[in-house]
Amino acid sequence: MMKVVIRTDKLSKYYGKGGEIKAVDGLDLEVYEGETFGLLGPNGAGKTTTVRLLNCIIKPTSGKATLNGYDILKEETEVKRVTGLLAESPGLYEKLSAYEFLEFMGALYDVPSDILPERIDDLLKLFGLYDRRDYLLEGYSRGMKQKILIAAALIHDPPILFFDEPTSMLDPRAAVMVKDLIKGLADRAGKTIFICSHILPVVEELCDRIGIINQGRLIALGTVDEIIAQTGTKTLEEAFITITGGVEEKELLAWRKQKGGSA
Amino acid sequence: MAVPKWLVVARNEYRIHTSSIRRIRPYFPFLVIGLLTVYVAFIAPAFVSLFIDDFLAFILSQVAVAMVQIILFMIFIYFIMFPITQTLQGVQAGQVEIFLAAPIKPRDVLLGEFLGVIPFYAIVVTVIAGLFTAILNPLGLDMLQIAVIIIIFVLMFLSAIWIGTVIAALVRTKFAKTARGRDIGRALSLVLGLPLIALMYAIMGGGLLEALADPGTSGMVKTILGLLPSSWGAELIVSFASNPGNIGAVGFETLTRFGGLVAFFVLVLWLGAKAANRAYSIEPTTFTASRAKPDGAFYKTVKYLGGGGSFGTLLVSVFKDYGRRLENLSRIVYIVGLIAMANIFFGSPENPEDALVMAQFLFPFFAVFVVGQVAVRGKESLFIYKKTPSGVGRFVKARLLQGWLIVVPIAASITVISIILVPQTTFVSLLTYTGLIVLFVAANVPLALGLSLLNPEFSENARAQMFGLILNANIAMFASFGIFIGSMIVLDLGFLNTLLLQNVLIWLLGTVFLYLGKRKLSRIE
Repeated sequence: MMKVVIRTDKLSKYYGKGGEIKAVDGLDLEVYEGETFGLLGPNGAGKTTTVRLLNCIIKPTSGKATLNGYDILKEETEVKRVTGLLAESPGLYEKLSAYEFLEFMGALYDVPSDILPERIDDLLKLFGLYDRRDYLLEGYSRGMKQKILIAAALIHDPPILFFDEPTSMLDPRAAVMVKDLIKGLADRAGKTIFICSHILPVVEELCDRIGIINQGRLIALGTVDEIIAQTGTKTLEEAFITITGGVEEKELLAWRKQKGGSA
Repeated sequence: MAVPKWLVVARNEYRIHTSSIRRIRPYFPFLVIGLLTVYVAFIAPAFVSLFIDDFLAFILSQVAVAMVQIILFMIFIYFIMFPITQTLQGVQAGQVEIFLAAPIKPRDVLLGEFLGVIPFYAIVVTVIAGLFTAILNPLGLDMLQIAVIIIIFVLMFLSAIWIGTVIAALVRTKFAKTARGRDIGRALSLVLGLPLIALMYAIMGGGLLEALADPGTSGMVKTILGLLPSSWGAELIVSFASNPGNIGAVGFETLTRFGGLVAFFVLVLWLGAKAANRAYSIEPTTFTASRAKPDGAFYKTVKYLGGGGSFGTLLVSVFKDYGRRLENLSRIVYIVGLIAMANIFFGSPENPEDALVMAQFLFPFFAVFVVGQVAVRGKESLFIYKKTPSGVGRFVKARLLQGWLIVVPIAASITVISIILVPQTTFVSLLTYTGLIVLFVAANVPLALGLSLLNPEFSENARAQMFGLILNANIAMFASFGIFIGSMIVLDLGFLNTLLLQNVLIWLLGTVFLYLGKRKLSRIE
């Protein structure tokens, strides 16, 4: 029987007066060891809030969750040690060099100082940034910064990795490399990977199972094939639109019809 | 053994603050310590020896306690404000997420952020403490008294910086999450400095020293400021000066004031640590998005002034983008505040000309503060105009009109009030000077716009943007002031002719710079 690494039980996060804004609403989810799980959803569906809850960055309004058996409410520090996070819009210390930033992140996660320099060098080589290790991050492109942030998420070699939109800022070559890396981490290193994205091909290619979240509620769960079958559609894109509510049929060029003639 | 987390954060902060001097980072502490040693041992005593009689007369005078209280109070407040304004200028929540996701306690983050910047504050504290001890040393203070004075400075400033760091972290949490919050933060960072400037102006030109010579005023200041920890040290320093080499004579005072400072430091440290959990959070605090109202009479008038057509719409859009940023409005408040304070504390004009001298300094600043930021969101915002037909020309024209519509009425109002307050002002002089100042301010708008187009600040960093603004403002101010000095002193043309000459030359400069700026914008890539 597969070991459950991430388990949520009616996990909820409400905002506003009286909790009228349900960012995450009664989420029940199990993610297994070594699995790559994808959480899909439109903008504002609750993906990032879920990731933040599971990384103890924010506290739930109600419900429970455990990661590697650690309770997110009672064992925050342990949870943080077993997870690595690539956040959606994280802040980098732009006045640090890539090496200094990774050294800082390694120290925050208590990576032993005798292995940290070598690991930083290895990660920088992996991402093709070794030659630029001493350049300040303020001079890096968006894609290069994203690579550094992925390296930072891996620096303490955690068993569970959260990637919030991992390829959104990368060029095709770097995106392929990151996808291969994620596959390698799951297949060869046995990592459990939790990906949030609305780039469907990425999720389709990488994930063993996916969940679709909309307005805070998990509305579909299963493999890509299962979800396509459940919705009676042919592709994940069609399934996604069917589940989350697609675009209405509209006359798409109606805006050109001016009363006084076209502009 | 794992390195303590606060040390990791402190080292990181230190690295960030020394990133511009990375090459000499290993030697930097030794360099600073060496220079400070030379300062404390030689430079400060040598500097003080130039004015030693005045200093000694001052420190033993009636006004000493109140004045030292005020000086230390100002420094105390400045040290609280500095981290807050720095944070407000560049509030970002992203880095908070890094800490929240990592196994580190908020109090360790707070302590690390505090300790990481302490070395830089220590430089300032050493300079101030070195100056004080140099002043007091000739009085014959013993080693214990000097040691207590140094500890007083250290405790006072550590308390102030800690308070500032905690408030800065809380403020970052409050404001960093939304664009509106960041805008409020930047606006506050500017106007928060006004009370300190007012106090400084009061000391420099407001007759504060004379007022403190009055025992009633002096006593009131001492009583009010005596409640603050910055004053406890001040009282002790002046007591030591009155009893050099005899700490026993002020033993009780030493015990209560010094003990009070120690207790205060421990208390703020404890309260700050308690507040740390609130200081690091990315929980949303608001869900209300700002909504635009339908255009009212003001925007309809602006559109009409812009010709009503598509250019009128463009002008209204430029106005809205400007007016909906509190940061921009705070700059207007800041400049108007400075002009008001300059008039209150430095001005007792006997004729309209005296009342308008400050205009030479501040109105060019005003023009730059209003139109001097052409690329709020980096280069991309300019490319919108470059893409559209005749976009660059229309953008420059819109910014010029927008600048005039803001700067001219405000400057005219300030000028009219300044002149009316002068006794025996004639209607003719009111009209003449107001007209000339309005023209002068209007000329500064194209100059300011031209300067900012020639040297656009593309960084989204608020501090970098402010640096660019101040640089251009100084160029504009020195252009006006240079003409003023040349005309008044070298050519001896008189005030009226000087204003006329300034108008001609600044209009000329403004036209040239605007042309060059527009050309640069057309070619920018």
